[in-house]
Amino acid sequence: MNRMSKLLSNTWVRVAVVVVVAALLLIAPLVLPVFANQTLTRMGVYAVAVLGLNIIMGYTGQVMLGQIFFLGVGAYVTAYGVNNDWNIVVTFFAACILPGLLGLVIALAAARLGGLAIAMVTIALPIIGVPLAKRLTDLTGGSQGTSARFSSAPDWTGLDNDQWQYYMVMVITVIGFVLAYNLVRGKFGRAMAIVRDNEAVARSIGISPYRYKVMAFTIASIFGGASGFLYMVAVQYTSPETMSFAHSISLLAAMVVGGAASIAGSLIGGVYYVLVPQVTNAIDPTVTAISQGIILVAVLFILPGGLVSLPRVIRRLTRKRDTAVATSPQTTSPMHQDAGQAAEGPETERQGQS
Amino acid sequence: MSAQLTVQDVNLHFGGVQVLGDVGFTVEAGQIFGLVGPNGAGKTSLFNCISGHYRPSSGSIKIDDVEVLHKPSWRMSRLGLARTFQHPALQLNATVLENVMLGVHPRLRGGPVEWSLRLPFTRKDERTLRDEALGMLERLDLGWAAHRTPDELSHGLHKGIELCRALLLRPHLLLLDEPAAGLPHSEVDRLIQLVRGIRDDFDVTIVIVEHHMGLIAALTERVVVLDHGRKLMEGTAAEAQSDPRVIEAYIGKDAADDAA
Repeated sequence: MNRMSKLLSNTWVRVAVVVVVAALLLIAPLVLPVFANQTLTRMGVYAVAVLGLNIIMGYTGQVMLGQIFFLGVGAYVTAYGVNNDWNIVVTFFAACILPGLLGLVIALAAARLGGLAIAMVTIALPIIGVPLAKRLTDLTGGSQGTSARFSSAPDWTGLDNDQWQYYMVMVITVIGFVLAYNLVRGKFGRAMAIVRDNEAVARSIGISPYRYKVMAFTIASIFGGASGFLYMVAVQYTSPETMSFAHSISLLAAMVVGGAASIAGSLIGGVYYVLVPQVTNAIDPTVTAISQGIILVAVLFILPGGLVSLPRVIRRLTRKRDTAVATSPQTTSPMHQDAGQAAEGPETERQGQS
Repeated sequence: MSAQLTVQDVNLHFGGVQVLGDVGFTVEAGQIFGLVGPNGAGKTSLFNCISGHYRPSSGSIKIDDVEVLHKPSWRMSRLGLARTFQHPALQLNATVLENVMLGVHPRLRGGPVEWSLRLPFTRKDERTLRDEALGMLERLDLGWAAHRTPDELSHGLHKGIELCRALLLRPHLLLLDEPAAGLPHSEVDRLIQLVRGIRDDFDVTIVIVEHHMGLIAALTERVVVLDHGRKLMEGTAAEAQSDPRVIEAYIGKDAADDAA
């Protein structure tokens, strides 16, 4: 165990870290410019979408290419609720539950299919979703889209709109991440991982792979719906373009770049999803797609486990260097070297722990 | 409580190939029973039929008079069945303890909502069963490895970890698929003691698929010999070892004639 891990295993240190991070999150929107607040807000929105994707794909190993569809449905439900004067809390839960029910119905059929078949079904979701949103004009506003203004800051807060939206998104994002973190530790995390890695073993210990895939798919769609609600908080407008297939692939890239089967990786994925297009646009708007592709390939080439594996890679490199120093020919025999390595144990990519 | 296993006229086909033909035998409660035969005899396929991983074309498989032939494999642990695999299937990225904790999965209460909210009973259950899992690792002399990952450990230890996971299911019937494979000879005696101890301490019926005839002879009370998916004979291990049909199945007719 290295020094940092030892330090973080102390309860007081962990509490202190949480307090400092919470304080920074609270203070940030009060001191940052509007654009920075909006960027942070959008990072929260997409981090929740990536989190859902990670639960079905990273933790349970089922290829899901239609997460953006559930974000779109969540956004439309939110717009419909707001425009029909539903209570905002009811609207939020409807934006989670309706995509969740849709996800459940789709999963009941799709989870029976294995491998690429489930991928094909999920590809169909945004492909069907976009024309459907264009045709269901009464509900969706058709190609024009629909707006819903409900996230302006109340007067009593004394906040600007961007600050209020930031706080709304941040609270829901933090709650979502805590719930997901709790879920993937313990019973369900272990079960989802064994369904992903070896279905025969899962069945032998009383776990139905089908049920767990359906459950993970439903949870992913609930998170997708929640991110749709958050999208409306941040953007206040949605159109069929929101759920286009290209965005779904970008979410997938964000998950892989952040780190599959990792809660922290989902957060990094949200940051990547928002930040990289902004950076590449700022560098040269004419070659955005190429530069995004280069960044994607570069990250995965250097860190196949995603950006979340960076500390592990650094630790491994540092350890190698230390071992090289400690095992110089004058001081250490090969036998000692083996013993040292054995005691240390090989570096492992421990997924599902973060 | 140990369970009785009754296999009757089990047939298994993969396409046009018959893998098992009219196989039948009874394992009495509390027995250690051997399933032997040359490679490709159908031993593991029969295990897979008993554990529900394969669906036989016909026949009957009963655990304590409960017909299990059409039960989904994931329900078998509730009927008291646990098994290990020929190639230990462990999660190399998780710790040994987390691997073993999978064995207590059916006993952890609560659904995804309760676990997402980390309700107090989920924490309590997790703590209690984690202690039980650690105890089981200690029982099998693996306590020291609890917080290591399996990729740091030998194949023989993987077998032990898998056995731990199976025992935490509190089985009445335990299927062990080649538990001695990959073990050095010095470890086989220890394994024999261990399996006997498990049968006595956990009151469980054990069926073993194994090529190591020394282990089969020392451990089992009865054996069934399979060859080309058919039952060749049933009896004690000593009877099997001296049966000309078994010798022929293992070393071929010509060699058996020469030996005679």
